[in-house]
Amino acid sequence: MTRWPLSYTISLVIALLAFFPVIILFALASDSVQMFDIRNLEILSNTLLLMLFTAVGAVLIGVPLALLVTYVKIPWRKFWLILLAAPLALPSYLGAFTFYAAFGTGGEIENVTGIATPALNGLLGSSVIMALYTYPFVLLSTRAALSSLDASQVYAARTLGMPLLSSIWHVVLPRIRNGIAAGTLLAAMYALSDFGTPAIMGLDTFTREIYVEYNSFGLSQAAMLSLQLLVVVGLILYLESKVKGSQEPPGRHLTFWPKPWQANLLLLTTLPIVMFAIVLPLAIFSLWLWREGTGNFDFTYALNSAYASLLAAFFAVILALPLAYAAIKGTMGRIMERITFIGFGIPGIVMGTALIYAGLQLPFLYQTLALLILAYVLRFLPLAVGTIRSSTESLDGSLVNAARVLGASPKEAYQRITLPLTMRGIVAGGALVFLEVMRELPATLLLGPIEFETLATYLWRVYEAGYFGRAAIPGLILIFISALGLALMFSTERWNSVELNEEEQR
Amino acid sequence: MQRRTFIKTLSYLGAASAFPFLSARGFAAISSAIPVAELPELKGELTLYLGRGEGGLYEDVLDAIKKRNPNFNLRIRRGPTAALANMIMAEAKAGVSQADLFWAVDSGAIGQVVDAGLAQKLPGDLTQQLQPEFRFSHWAPISGRIRTLPYNPDRISAAQIPDSIMALPDTDLSIAWAPAYASFQSFITAMRLIEGDKATTHWLKGMKNKTKQYAGELGVVMAVERGEVDLGLANHYYTLRLKSGKPDARLALAFTKNDAGCLINASGVLALKEGKTATDFIRYLLSKEVQTYLSTEAYELPLAGQLPTPAGIPNLAQLSPPNVDLTKLADLRPTINLMRKAGII
Repeated sequence: MTRWPLSYTISLVIALLAFFPVIILFALASDSVQMFDIRNLEILSNTLLLMLFTAVGAVLIGVPLALLVTYVKIPWRKFWLILLAAPLALPSYLGAFTFYAAFGTGGEIENVTGIATPALNGLLGSSVIMALYTYPFVLLSTRAALSSLDASQVYAARTLGMPLLSSIWHVVLPRIRNGIAAGTLLAAMYALSDFGTPAIMGLDTFTREIYVEYNSFGLSQAAMLSLQLLVVVGLILYLESKVKGSQEPPGRHLTFWPKPWQANLLLLTTLPIVMFAIVLPLAIFSLWLWREGTGNFDFTYALNSAYASLLAAFFAVILALPLAYAAIKGTMGRIMERITFIGFGIPGIVMGTALIYAGLQLPFLYQTLALLILAYVLRFLPLAVGTIRSSTESLDGSLVNAARVLGASPKEAYQRITLPLTMRGIVAGGALVFLEVMRELPATLLLGPIEFETLATYLWRVYEAGYFGRAAIPGLILIFISALGLALMFSTERWNSVELNEEEQR
Repeated sequence: MQRRTFIKTLSYLGAASAFPFLSARGFAAISSAIPVAELPELKGELTLYLGRGEGGLYEDVLDAIKKRNPNFNLRIRRGPTAALANMIMAEAKAGVSQADLFWAVDSGAIGQVVDAGLAQKLPGDLTQQLQPEFRFSHWAPISGRIRTLPYNPDRISAAQIPDSIMALPDTDLSIAWAPAYASFQSFITAMRLIEGDKATTHWLKGMKNKTKQYAGELGVVMAVERGEVDLGLANHYYTLRLKSGKPDARLALAFTKNDAGCLINASGVLALKEGKTATDFIRYLLSKEVQTYLSTEAYELPLAGQLPTPAGIPNLAQLSPPNVDLTKLADLRPTINLMRKAGII
């Protein structure tokens, strides 16, 4: 049985492809002697603390919300899921900028309401904003893990007199640790590689060093520093791989039936998140829109965003499946899966430039939509791989074995057992890629077909030019299109799904 | 409203070209800016890589040029200046050149591309339109920005501000600056070229304890206006733009004399491929209308012909900028190392 499986061969090709831009960075960095100044411990500790606080914040927001939208019978459950996932589509620099403009003395909140608010900046400000725009990573990956969990153990614990909260704590959460970890890993890596948010909040991080080098035409230095950042990336990749969930056969779905007032109360607690992550930025932009008047916005930008994101999500999922499958087969597969994550920890603009060099290897594709989609897929592959892998991991092998004993080929067992049972993970992975592509900027600017404008590039244009009011309408459309895309994806969730796992009642 | 008017003016000027006072200028006076009406019509297609900093108003200029030339198609790729400069060099290395023109907000990025030997030589009559100190063989400066010392007149008087930038660390003023900002780094490069590495390091170290750091120079000017500090180091237009939105702002401008403190830097354009349309396009950017628009709306210094500086800035003749070859400002590496050594970035 220890032969080299087919999934390994496919995975190796994909992993090498995803790793190719990183190899280009090595080549670019080779003529540089610049090393991260280890004396500058403040920057290193800022970076690590920001990463840690973002991860903790994303878990604190994401896990309870995942429990809410998965287990609690609330009205319009899908709507809430989609709304709560949508902040992932908003560029975090816009969030940071509106927070900066809203809070503090002379801020917009004080201008409009007269209520003085404390300024939000530094490490605290960056962490809060980063957590608000990364918690959907945790929300979606945790939801995927939760929904394939058997409820009988919780019922047993409850029957034996364990209170609700502690049964969630002791019986549910330990079994979905790997799902939570997969999302947390992505949040941490995002915090590590983002530049805009800490810059606006006045926090010196590693990415600032990299941007100073990049902007002063030290491309090889910027590449070198980015590669050094990978030490931290490697460390968190290692830590995450140590987190193990449980393996068990699927069972009945857990559902709580709260009274209407309880449901409303629970929904009310999500209000601050929606307020800060979505309503506040859009409100601030609308305020400026009202003051400055509107600009010329072309609706094709929204269409461009939508179809590029959908295509990227589709192909990312297809490439992620063999990787996730290989990852649970053995150590080699695991290593190949980890390799695809590395690129996600590299700051966008450096990665964008590496992708230009990569794209120039294929001159016939250069500056075409196909190449842009390929770049998206390679860059955001880990988003899909992580959630699919963690939901595949928790599958108990006995079902597949049973199918094999009954005469199914490995292919049939995969199609009829493994694939349907991991459908939630697949949809969650696709959704993460979709949302992340919606806000992607550097690759879109540098690799897209010329004059290919998306909502993200338009938002960047008006932001750079200082016409903040013009960000209101595209910002709103960004949320709307993201919601539509998510609704489309979540509607495929039940396709192929096993009835046993669903006890939806009407 | 004014922007709309500008676009209209430029696009209907073709009809007005018959007016004698417009054509009378002719090509006689080389040192005065050429009106759009005298420029050849643009035909064909160009690809422009547009590096953006605070360049929202550049869009209006491009729109107006497109409107005026119906047989001309302009394809624009927008991106951060440094990223586009890197991209142009990567494309050249791979032999897949896409852009005809590169318009950058920062002369450092221009210098990089020129040094890589990728820029085309510009015709002499085009560079002749620029003021003598802004004539370069391979690129054309479009608009200028001068380093200034914005100060808060409620806190200090003009007399307290030294004439020399090098004397600033010896004062007891509190100062705002933005060391990560490209224009600031160009200014330090100029200081390095004029005063030498040792004096510059000494200056940076001396300033370190008197300064408060901001992310950008608009932040610097706002901090001065709010009275957080006495004085700031910033490009001139931030002060003018803030004052245009808030006329009673507590802000005034001081200029040093003959040193890096009043360096004039420029945004500029270069042609990556040979062609008449590309050079004609540059002529449009140097036209009287475009230069006047950039001066009145964006508060940038017009560099072609002898147009007046924006209101609030003394005429170029009254300023004493240092004599620095702008192309040399591309040599940023030693500056970054120096700033790192001094613990500034």
